[in-house]
Amino acid sequence: MDQERTATVTEPKESAVLPDGSKEFVVDVHTEDMELNMGPQHPATHGVMRILLRVDGELVTGAQPHLGYLHRCAEKIGENVEWLQYLPYTDRYDYLAAMNNNLGYSMAVEKLLGIEIPRRAEMLRIICAELNRIGSHLIAFGTYGLDLGAFTPFLYTFREREWMMSLFEKICGARLTYSYIRIGGVFNDTPPGWLGEVSRFCDTFLVKWQEYYDLVVENQIFIGRTADVGVIPREMAMDFGLTGPMLRGSGIDFDLRRDMPYSLYGEVDKAGALNIPVARGEKGSLGDCWDRVWVRTMEMKESIEIVRWCLDNIEAGPVIGELPKTLRVPAGEAYVGIENPRGELGHYVVSDGGKVAVRCRVRGPSFCNLPVLEEIMLGTLLADSVAIIGSTDVVVGETDR
Amino acid sequence: MDFTGICDRLKAIGAPGILGVDEPREKNPEDKKDLGRAGDSFVLVDPEELEGFLRFCRDDTELQFELLCDLTATDPGNDDEELWLNYNLLSIAHKHRLAVKAKISKENSNAPSVADVYRAAQWHEREAAEMFGITYRNHPDPRHILLPDDWIGYPLRKDYEYPKEYRGISCE
Amino acid sequence: MSLSTLALPLSLLTDPALKLAESETPEVAEAAAEMGELTSGTNLINELLMLAPIPDFVPGWAIPLTAIMIGVAIVMGVVSLNAMAGTWLERKVSGHIQCRYGPMRAGWHGFLQPLADGIKLMLKEDMIPIGSDRVLFVMAPALVLASVLGALAVMPLSPDFFFADAPMGLFLILALTSTTTIGVIMAGWASNSKWSVYGAMREAAQVVAYEVPLGISLLVPLIVAGTFSLTEVSEMQSGMFGIGGWLIFKNPFMFPALILFFIAVLAESKRAPFDLPESESELVSGFLTEYSGIRWSFFFMEEYAAMFLYCVVTAFFFLGGFNSPLTWLFEDGGLLPNVILWNVAAFFTIVVKGYIGLFVMMWVRWTLPRLRIDQVMTMGYKYLTPISLVCVLGAGIWEWGKAALLG
Repeated sequence: MDQERTATVTEPKESAVLPDGSKEFVVDVHTEDMELNMGPQHPATHGVMRILLRVDGELVTGAQPHLGYLHRCAEKIGENVEWLQYLPYTDRYDYLAAMNNNLGYSMAVEKLLGIEIPRRAEMLRIICAELNRIGSHLIAFGTYGLDLGAFTPFLYTFREREWMMSLFEKICGARLTYSYIRIGGVFNDTPPGWLGEVSRFCDTFLVKWQEYYDLVVENQIFIGRTADVGVIPREMAMDFGLTGPMLRGSGIDFDLRRDMPYSLYGEVDKAGALNIPVARGEKGSLGDCWDRVWVRTMEMKESIEIVRWCLDNIEAGPVIGELPKTLRVPAGEAYVGIENPRGELGHYVVSDGGKVAVRCRVRGPSFCNLPVLEEIMLGTLLADSVAIIGSTDVVVGETDR
Repeated sequence: MDFTGICDRLKAIGAPGILGVDEPREKNPEDKKDLGRAGDSFVLVDPEELEGFLRFCRDDTELQFELLCDLTATDPGNDDEELWLNYNLLSIAHKHRLAVKAKISKENSNAPSVADVYRAAQWHEREAAEMFGITYRNHPDPRHILLPDDWIGYPLRKDYEYPKEYRGISCE
Repeated sequence: MSLSTLALPLSLLTDPALKLAESETPEVAEAAAEMGELTSGTNLINELLMLAPIPDFVPGWAIPLTAIMIGVAIVMGVVSLNAMAGTWLERKVSGHIQCRYGPMRAGWHGFLQPLADGIKLMLKEDMIPIGSDRVLFVMAPALVLASVLGALAVMPLSPDFFFADAPMGLFLILALTSTTTIGVIMAGWASNSKWSVYGAMREAAQVVAYEVPLGISLLVPLIVAGTFSLTEVSEMQSGMFGIGGWLIFKNPFMFPALILFFIAVLAESKRAPFDLPESESELVSGFLTEYSGIRWSFFFMEEYAAMFLYCVVTAFFFLGGFNSPLTWLFEDGGLLPNVILWNVAAFFTIVVKGYIGLFVMMWVRWTLPRLRIDQVMTMGYKYLTPISLVCVLGAGIWEWGKAALLG
């Protein structure tokens, strides 16, 4: 045991002898905080992250995340492989939202190339990105239940995610690392009947969504565990550069899809299909764990609306533009941030006009949302710290890249 | 606000350390060596004035860049003497972005830490420091973040040599 | 608690000792009779053995000893069978709640899965972590299992088949099952793991907090029934088609007491939403983190045995004990009076009632998230304890009023 307990009996210097002649002894029990390694192998860290906790009994008095266990040199690889070859590596950083990663990287390179994307490809991109957002939030939602000790929602969400993954399998052959969205468009047109199945998925999902909401989000124990826990006030959220559901969970109404529209999201917004949920602090103070989970839950519903709009408006046409086999990207630099399920996924690419990138920087939202843990985990209980880690929804593949 | 508007505002409020502005341009058809430039516009800032500059950007009511979206560095190539420091700012209130760039020499790669201005910079600076060998002055927590503490070399520099072994494990 | 712990070996011994005493000196007979007052009733195994043709060279004390051994073996068998049935049921229940099947391969609907698991657990490497307190580490699972085995000895399997019918049966069960806490704390401390210590400390805090409402809410049926003995309380509830006589219908405060008791039982047996001692997402596995193989399965057997026992206690003191329409059919003065069938029906009744309770516990476990330690404490001390006290007061007044009015 690290925890040292030393009881020392000291004789006080003053008034050592009491009036009745006996000596007074002061027993000074000296206790120390315990250091507790949460991770790298711990069920609540969602991968191989390590958090060094200082605990005083159940109370957390210090938290220090240690990263790097899953560092796979993504940025260095980006400087060593050709532009198109790097695409499959983008699948690997946030492996739960591979479509969104593909989209971010493709858009950054397309910005340098300055090419037009066929309209059908843009539609398919949005459908895939939103479906993947649903899948990613389903995992976040399910594993959050696991963190709080509710095992069952996890399997329910995996049932829906399974359908989503089989949809992706039909469209690109892969279930987790899709590489479907390519520079210049998407890899392939949809197989016959695929869009109809997506529509059926949307209908079924909304029914199931209500079940999840009633089972977990409105559960009294769940509210008791998450409300007023891990509160991130507005100023702190902005100071730490939080994005995505973490930011909206703190009551800041900002979504890149609506406020700095890319792809066809501007049109979606005009059609009124883009209703960004923003936390209002219904069950506790604004910015607590419940708010973040609520935002994610509502976003799933919102994504379904976007997908439906796309399904209504999609037209036949080409899905990928003409590109040379060896892509030479014009010299320059571009930063493109898109709204990933976890926040803003930024790609900063620098080209010198050659076949490979000079710099391929990835701004992973998980990495940027994580430092806030150091702050909000202080003074919480051990069980709360698990709830807080879960509510940040980190994917360690992305923090370490 | 678009990029020109932001630049005008920056000049109007007298933000310190602005060295210039770089905007994308077309290829010059007469000069064959000229590649042109694509992509984003950015503001070039004196690295020593970075902290003050970012503070201006954050606090000005019309710019109001509350979020430091990204902080990184770039090694443009072996024949280049300079490292770039890239900052990407985002304003939630006004829904605009600004890319800021500062250049420091590779020999003496020193820059002031901006963790005081944006808390978000702390981890990004730790990453840039270990990857590029940049010393951020007055950084509150200058440890390695992704690499092990005993890692030798700066992996994202262009002159980085891959280690033959690490702690007795062959890397080849 | 110490008194009742002592009472266990006594109660196991008394009946055989009584038989033994008949042929011995008057002093022994006197002592045995004194002890016999502690436990009333008969031991069926002993009686059956007495009926068997026994050769002369077998000494007199061998028969009661054999009876005890057989009794112990039966209790062990009950515990292991119950653990197997419990794990199977848990997997199937959780599976069907979670839209999947659970085990399907080993036997009919995975019925043999617990057997396969048991073999696996026994063949597993028995690991004792370096730096652990070996003696405590090895003793802890044994202690945990022993306490629940002792408690099960008091549980009658049918009106005429029991090992020890202690007049203070309920008291004994409560005392013995709460000693598992000591084993859990030992396990947590001995594991040399911080997570295990957390589990142990939480267990200690939780059991102390919930022992109070558990005991107090049981006072309500005790006031109504007026006995601690499980067989007596069951007899009291017979008649009215085997349902109408249940204690829960005899006092309006019985129903809230049942709810309180069940919540406290969930906390006592470390079941979700009170599974803080082993909360797998926070404390890895709590006090079980360092255990593996057969030692780990001892904890598991204890958990299911304790759950079953608590459910049986619930059945005895709230839900009619052995009485059901089936036993009503076969009981004295019923439609088809038959002692053997009556006993068999009673056995099935109590098992079914116990497993219905078990099913509810699993249902709750696979539905609800876990509470936080401070919420658990708040609930125990601030809500359950006062409410159960009010229940006891109300039940007492009701019974007093009833006695005063009806004479």
